[in-house]
Amino acid sequence: MDITEVISITKPQSSSQYNNIDESNDDSDIEMGESSAGGASAGIVTPGELITEDPIWMKGHGTYFLNDSTYSSVAGSVSRVNRLLSVIPLRGRYSPETGDHIVGRITEVANKRWKVDIGTRQDAVLMLGSVNLPGGILRRKSESDELQMRNFLKEGDLLNCEVQTIFSNGIASLHTRSLKYGKLRNGIFLKVPSSLIVKSKNHAYDLPGSVSVILGSNGYIWLHKTLANTSTTTTVNQNAAKIQGRDYAPGQGSISITRLEEESSWEIYSDQNDPNITSSTRSNISRYYNVIKALAYGELGITEQRVILGYEASLAYSNIGSLIDRESMEQICQEVLNSEKMRG
Amino acid sequence: MTLLSPAERSYLRDSLTASPIIRPDSRTPHQFRPIEAKTSFLSSSNGSARVRLIDGSECIVSVKAKVVDLASVSNLVEVDIDVDSFRDDSNFVTNLKFHILNSLANFPSTVLKLTTKYGYKLFIDVIVTSHSSYPLTLISLATYLALKTARLPKLVSEVNDEEIAEQPTFADDWAESTLIQDLLDAPFQPPVLITLGIIGNNIIFDPSIEEEQIIDNSLVIGFYNGRVITPINTISLSSISNGVNSIVLVKALELGNKYGGMVVKALDTLIEQDIDDENIF
Amino acid sequence: MELYSPEGLRIDGRRWNELRRFECKINTHPHSADGSSYVEQGNTKIICMVRGPMEPAMKSQVNATSSTVEVNVSLANFSTFERKKRSKTDKRITELKTTLERTFNECIMGHLYPRTLISVTVQVLAQDGGLLAAMTNAVTLALIDAGIAMYDYVSGVNAGLYDQTSALLDLNTLEENDMCSLTIGVIGKSEKLALVVLEDKLPLDRLESVLAIAIAGSHRIRELMDMEVRKHGNMRLAKVSV
Repeated sequence: MDITEVISITKPQSSSQYNNIDESNDDSDIEMGESSAGGASAGIVTPGELITEDPIWMKGHGTYFLNDSTYSSVAGSVSRVNRLLSVIPLRGRYSPETGDHIVGRITEVANKRWKVDIGTRQDAVLMLGSVNLPGGILRRKSESDELQMRNFLKEGDLLNCEVQTIFSNGIASLHTRSLKYGKLRNGIFLKVPSSLIVKSKNHAYDLPGSVSVILGSNGYIWLHKTLANTSTTTTVNQNAAKIQGRDYAPGQGSISITRLEEESSWEIYSDQNDPNITSSTRSNISRYYNVIKALAYGELGITEQRVILGYEASLAYSNIGSLIDRESMEQICQEVLNSEKMRG
Repeated sequence: MTLLSPAERSYLRDSLTASPIIRPDSRTPHQFRPIEAKTSFLSSSNGSARVRLIDGSECIVSVKAKVVDLASVSNLVEVDIDVDSFRDDSNFVTNLKFHILNSLANFPSTVLKLTTKYGYKLFIDVIVTSHSSYPLTLISLATYLALKTARLPKLVSEVNDEEIAEQPTFADDWAESTLIQDLLDAPFQPPVLITLGIIGNNIIFDPSIEEEQIIDNSLVIGFYNGRVITPINTISLSSISNGVNSIVLVKALELGNKYGGMVVKALDTLIEQDIDDENIF
Repeated sequence: MELYSPEGLRIDGRRWNELRRFECKINTHPHSADGSSYVEQGNTKIICMVRGPMEPAMKSQVNATSSTVEVNVSLANFSTFERKKRSKTDKRITELKTTLERTFNECIMGHLYPRTLISVTVQVLAQDGGLLAAMTNAVTLALIDAGIAMYDYVSGVNAGLYDQTSALLDLNTLEENDMCSLTIGVIGKSEKLALVVLEDKLPLDRLESVLAIAIAGSHRIRELMDMEVRKHGNMRLAKVSV
């Protein structure tokens, strides 16, 4: 038996290797700077560095103003958008923007609100008024809702939501008022640096192998079983069918309709997983988990296409467990880049 | 600590009790998480090792030998563990220390005796700079590496000081120093501690932080000289605690016997390949 | 033992105004901290990790207008030639911790991060003089790596006065034990000091010469740190644009 099937112990990448990578990248580095001339200029600035003495620029994030000059306060690349001058740090926590589709975890149930860890500097808030409650959207919120907040969402629960607004103190306020948002089930969670998530219109994808993924803009990712009927119409039809079925009991129709409505919407806060997650779906979820970890290890931006390409490349490994070794992760990243090049 | 949601817990539990077991990162039941390791980077210590998991958990171990009057000390091996964010007298640290010290109970102390009066005392100092899952295996592997690569200076004074009392003196040349192994007739192999997670009738090696939260029980087994040795301890990592059933225990020992040797082999291979430079990172 | 020979050579062969070997790395612990660094100043070796800005664990750490900087200093038992077990509440450790907290509270643009905690862990693996200075440098690098806004680098070095006459730069333990010395932290390329610690007696008329050499040394260390930050930054930029 091969030792690496049990444990892989490797030397850290030595500093000489690190230097070599650096040098070989030097040329491409300059090209990169030129090609992205619209945004960042070549190279980086570091804290305390004078960026400009021209007072025409408005100072944005990562800069400060002193004696008519603008200086950098972080290490990063300079961005000039219209008149706004800012420095984008190389690393840093996720900074939320209105409209971001993210994944978060409840950390505290507070007065009329939940506190949610979304990887930002301060926990975000989800107001009781920003979630759909059982009983339909038009229902009034009552005091009893406040008392049973923990029945909807409690500490540790994961949810899929959108940044509604950023308060002046920098805290993000979230909402889940759409059928695509809500509590997460049927899968596993993983974290990557938020800088690797490329913002796009859509952050939820169905992938090959009956697996779906939510690539939260904050770097929090949820991999889960693709639900058979995700569209809202089907659920409504199902409910309608049930209601009709019950209609045979005369005189109870109206009560049962409201009760059913309530029951069905309580489901969005259920903690129960789908009882029929097959082991092949489970292994696929784990495979995607490793693919995304590998992409993050190689610091590649994580997109739907790359996740799928990585998945395809990973199929060459019969033992998916070996995908967690450093060598395999590098290999996967290389293959993803190669197939991207081939596709142009 | 990350708290899992009920849905995550039940998904994980179902996956880990399934047959075959499906771990979140696709590891086989007997597979450890990959490790990065480096030895001999602290010039002021006799031996040193740094071990890191891909999730950033890291442990640094130093072995320092000090000449002591044998009559004045009770034991020749001392272990101290420092875990970031834990008090030294916390249960967590005390238990880790207990396990490591216990595993070194059969340390061949005779090689540390220099003369009838004097000997080396080994101070094994462990720093855990960050960890997510229970760091015992990580500490144990780092300790193994640090002890195996520890060099002791060559004694140049008389070995027999029964008649003439003499302070031991040592050769200045570091090249003349010896590994503990060279002082022994048999190969020197400090025991390695392996953490096993038990869930239902399934057993997983080296559970991750997520797995730890849903397993029924954990087992620490020592591996020495090609087989599992005592002490074998159960530890509770999750809030759940069910007894260990004897069939599972027997299975755990079998698996330990089967795969423990690979861990030792991987560690020894790393030592062979490790270049002698002082770059820690 | 002569610490400074008439020919102008110190015990390790350096001249009066020479720094020891200075090596640093940034982003050494990318998976366990928001920012991290490793600094070797002579034989003093330090790992630094920064976590935050983040939600404070304790309500007492909440400051409505600014971030709270918390520094934890840990000296490894094996960090000195003679192994020594230290209590975490050792007086010297508390002093180092408070000094670093004060210094960096000033240099971090804390008003940008109200109600948050910036937790800094300094782990000393080996000490051979210039401990506070090396810690200062390591913290600066780790904060930069974490992307936390700062007005400028704070670079530190110590300097001493030999035989009441000659100023010597960047003392090791042997030199530190035998002469009065001070540690400074300089803000960027300026001559402003974010940190001055002088625990011994130093003749006032000599202070200027000692300070001057320490400032020059700090500027050189800032350059070396800046080189590492840029090298690492350019490598990252190249990677990200792939």
